[in-house]
Amino acid sequence: MDTLAHLTGLSVATLWMLAKVLIVITVLMGLASPLTWVERRGSAMLQDRIGPNRAALFGKWRILGLAHVVADGIKFFFKEDLVPPHATKRLFWLAPMLAFVPAMMGFAVIPIGRSFVAGGHTYHLSLLEPGNGMGMLYPMAIGGIAVYGILVAAWSSNNKWSILGGMRASAQMVSYEIGLSLAILAVFMVVGGYDPHQIIADQGAKGWLIWRQPIGFLVFFTCMFAETNRLPFDFAEGESEIVAGFHTEYGSMKFAIMALAEYFHIITASALITTMYLGGWQIPFLPNASALATVVAFATKVVFLCWVFIWIRWTLPRFRYDQLMFMGWKVMLPLSMANLLLNAYWMRSH
Amino acid sequence: MGVIVKQVELSWLDRSYVWPVMKGMAITFRHLLRQITTPSAKRFTIQYPDMKKTMPKGYRGLHELKRFEDGAIKCVACFMCAEACPARCITIEAEEFSELNFTQGFEEKRPKVFRIDMLRCIYCGMCEEACPKDAIWLRNEYELAAYDRLSMNYGKWDLMNTYAAADGKAEIREDLLPAVVRGPVAL
Amino acid sequence: MFILFALITLLGAGAMILQKNVITAGLCMVLTFFGVAGLFLMLSNPVAAALQLIVYSGAIMVLVLFVIMLLNSHEEEPAKSARPIQRWGGLALCLVLGFGALRLALKSPAAAALGAQATQARAMTLEQVGQELFSSHLLAFEVVGLLLLATMVAAVALTKKEL
Repeated sequence: MDTLAHLTGLSVATLWMLAKVLIVITVLMGLASPLTWVERRGSAMLQDRIGPNRAALFGKWRILGLAHVVADGIKFFFKEDLVPPHATKRLFWLAPMLAFVPAMMGFAVIPIGRSFVAGGHTYHLSLLEPGNGMGMLYPMAIGGIAVYGILVAAWSSNNKWSILGGMRASAQMVSYEIGLSLAILAVFMVVGGYDPHQIIADQGAKGWLIWRQPIGFLVFFTCMFAETNRLPFDFAEGESEIVAGFHTEYGSMKFAIMALAEYFHIITASALITTMYLGGWQIPFLPNASALATVVAFATKVVFLCWVFIWIRWTLPRFRYDQLMFMGWKVMLPLSMANLLLNAYWMRSH
Repeated sequence: MGVIVKQVELSWLDRSYVWPVMKGMAITFRHLLRQITTPSAKRFTIQYPDMKKTMPKGYRGLHELKRFEDGAIKCVACFMCAEACPARCITIEAEEFSELNFTQGFEEKRPKVFRIDMLRCIYCGMCEEACPKDAIWLRNEYELAAYDRLSMNYGKWDLMNTYAAADGKAEIREDLLPAVVRGPVAL
Repeated sequence: MFILFALITLLGAGAMILQKNVITAGLCMVLTFFGVAGLFLMLSNPVAAALQLIVYSGAIMVLVLFVIMLLNSHEEEPAKSARPIQRWGGLALCLVLGFGALRLALKSPAAAALGAQATQARAMTLEQVGQELFSSHLLAFEVVGLLLLATMVAAVALTKKEL
């Protein structure tokens, strides 16, 4: 690293930052497309089907339908880029970006492994250094603006279905963000800090938070589903009721970006759940694991949670809208409040 | 008719939603394991162009006009099938045999033209039932597709040879005369 | 950096006022919030920046846009009659308020401290915010809580016909 820094004339910190950004973005991009494959094949297997397996590389190698990922990409590239008449053109173009960028940005604060020392420098494996003052507030802030992608897409399409989807999405996000915030608050309170590094260190010392706050985990997990707009909370899309919701009018690469954003959301949400409740990069019973091992552990947890997202999607039907609102305001909110109060009481008595 | 709806009293565990979700996930996961461990030949899905389902006996697919052993057509152009056909897709034009010895043996008619429009045919099997000579059969072939409408019009020679390859018989595209005089069929 | 964020804030605000379309105006307002969040970050106050994004752009603007979509008024309603007095009055009020704000800012001790040697400010943390809130601003905090409770009760009373 030192020699590389010397060669390029950049400081070690800048170089490391660049490397981290590159690694995280490539890994995220690399993870999102196999996720589409897992979603399709996995759902097929869950439902006693076989799933897409006809596309073949050069007409020969079917490789378990993985060629469909490539074929889809190529197809999206060559499709006509259509903007419906009467759509607000600029916003229509902006919306996929608005959906895509926050989905990726949320990842920045999450540590993907143990910090390590090499050659006199300390390298932290999260994009934002520890002690930046934003901590876990940052992914919440980013999550708050993630809904704009859907809202703008819905409104600019000038389509009734889209607007309905956008309205559902906004109402749902606002209702579930409260439960989410309260669940996170309980974590902050128990840990005594809101920096992800601190949260993970505390979990390593005192046990994972999923065991210490099962109710909080449940609320957080459910609200994360609502935040990512995945089934059983995919009201923005609701294809059986409102065609395809907010992206009814989207096609070609713009739709592909929308779909990718959804998968990025899943990955970021999984990473958040891992950091908050599953001990981040900690490996159970191995407190002194090497940095590389911790990265692998973190990746394993995230991939497993991504699978859980898909698994639940193909197990549960969509809620009815009133059930959604009931869940958000009358179940999630009281539960998270009870969780907060219980933990406060517990902390006071100990 | 009134139906008595049974109200199921759910236990608190079932009403908690979390436990039933986990049960559901266990069910889907069991299906996943089963599906992954089953070899693809034994799965429910028949991967069509690669795997084909064997049709049951009595399946009504593409028609065949039957011949006798000696190659002469069984059909006597009685128009029964054309009459019975609800889709009116059979066109028959009859012709006479000129040879005297055959006309004495009751076989004085045969179809000059026997055409079935496969686009109109509904594969109901009425023609098969109506036929007094057992000359038309609906068999197990179902892959009927063509690039134009005209080729879905099956003529006499097409119909007589539809299953020639499947049965391992030679394709014959001419009117062979019966080798022996055939008596009337006892009814 | 400061100029960038300031420009974002100002451009967003300007576009919001000039935009005829309500939704676009709302989105411009979100842009302004982003600029302000950036300015907070420059002031080494990441907590305020995060709260700005969570509360204003994450919740309030989403609700505002939701209501606009619910009412679904695509047509801009032109003013019944152009009244120049409104325009000039607004402009004058703006000037007065701007002048007042500027004078206040220049008179504040923070501005005086700016002229002195700028020290490396320590980043504000959530703990500090909490301590400030519950020690020196406790009364205001409680009053705000009471106010919010009152609004909640009022909202319920307005919407529920039979209590």
